[in-house]
Amino acid sequence: MAPAEPALAPAEDAQLIAAWQAGDERAAAELVRRHARAVARFLVGAGAPDADLDDLVQETFIRAFRAVATFRSQCQFRTWLLTIAGNALKDLGRRLARRRVVPLDERLESKDGDPHERTVAGETEERLRRGLTRLPRMQREVFLLRAQQGLEYGEIAAALDTTPGAARVHYHHAVKRLKEWLK
Amino acid sequence: MMLDDGVHDEELRQAAQRLGAAAAERVDVERTAEAVLARLRAGDAPARSRIRWIQPAWLRAAAVVVLMIGVGTLLVHRFNPPTVSDRRAARAAGGEIGDMSSGQLQTVLAALDEPAEMPAVHAAEAGLEDLTESQLQSLLRTMEE
Repeated sequence: MAPAEPALAPAEDAQLIAAWQAGDERAAAELVRRHARAVARFLVGAGAPDADLDDLVQETFIRAFRAVATFRSQCQFRTWLLTIAGNALKDLGRRLARRRVVPLDERLESKDGDPHERTVAGETEERLRRGLTRLPRMQREVFLLRAQQGLEYGEIAAALDTTPGAARVHYHHAVKRLKEWLK
Repeated sequence: MMLDDGVHDEELRQAAQRLGAAAAERVDVERTAEAVLARLRAGDAPARSRIRWIQPAWLRAAAVVVLMIGVGTLLVHRFNPPTVSDRRAARAAGGEIGDMSSGQLQTVLAALDEPAEMPAVHAAEAGLEDLTESQLQSLLRTMEE
């Protein structure tokens, strides 16, 4: 399975991370340029409202840069970013639920965005988007990391703090349920 | 693999890869990078960590100052030796008095007890040149004894 966006060499990211830790803001900016769109795609797949997408991407990088000392290269930097994005989205869901402005499920299935793009988007894609919001978080994230980001089970397991076998099981459960909903 | 309903694994995977592609393209990565850096510069986390480190630093400095003052005060009170001039004066006074006989001491005391026999001399003006001849002779006799 070829990744949609090939992950960059870990060594290059590692060099940028080291430069950022040494105070080089240009390194942080370069890391944002490299990974922002992958983070955005993951967030959309995980159900992020379009209206909050920019803020969530920014929040993901801010959390990552502040906690970069805890990144031990157990997985690729991008994979680590995606797990942080998942946490940021979860926190947003909690905040929205507390405010009770819009029910969370409705908000995450927001129809914001260009109507024309939605019209031309494949029906399968739209149904997949809705189906993903109904999956448990672990199944949803394993599915996206595997199917959308093209990661191996070992990498997924390291990022989500589980085993490759468990990640494989989560993926197959997710695929089975999504196929049922996409009938 | 193909299920009865015709949904392929590959079709699902391709749909997943297309998911969010348009929204991701709309993300302005340069603007995002600038916003992230601006928020990091203005963020409260570094400020909190600075406060965390400044507070103990101030406390340590204050503790050091208090300790130094305390130790200094203790040393001054405990080990403050008399000065050299103090020691000399005490030794000189003690030596002169100690060298006098009991008779000489009584004569000196008697002379001190009889001020009325001498003309009143103001302390500030007191000196050998102010003594009368009889007073000088009396003093010399006392010292010769």
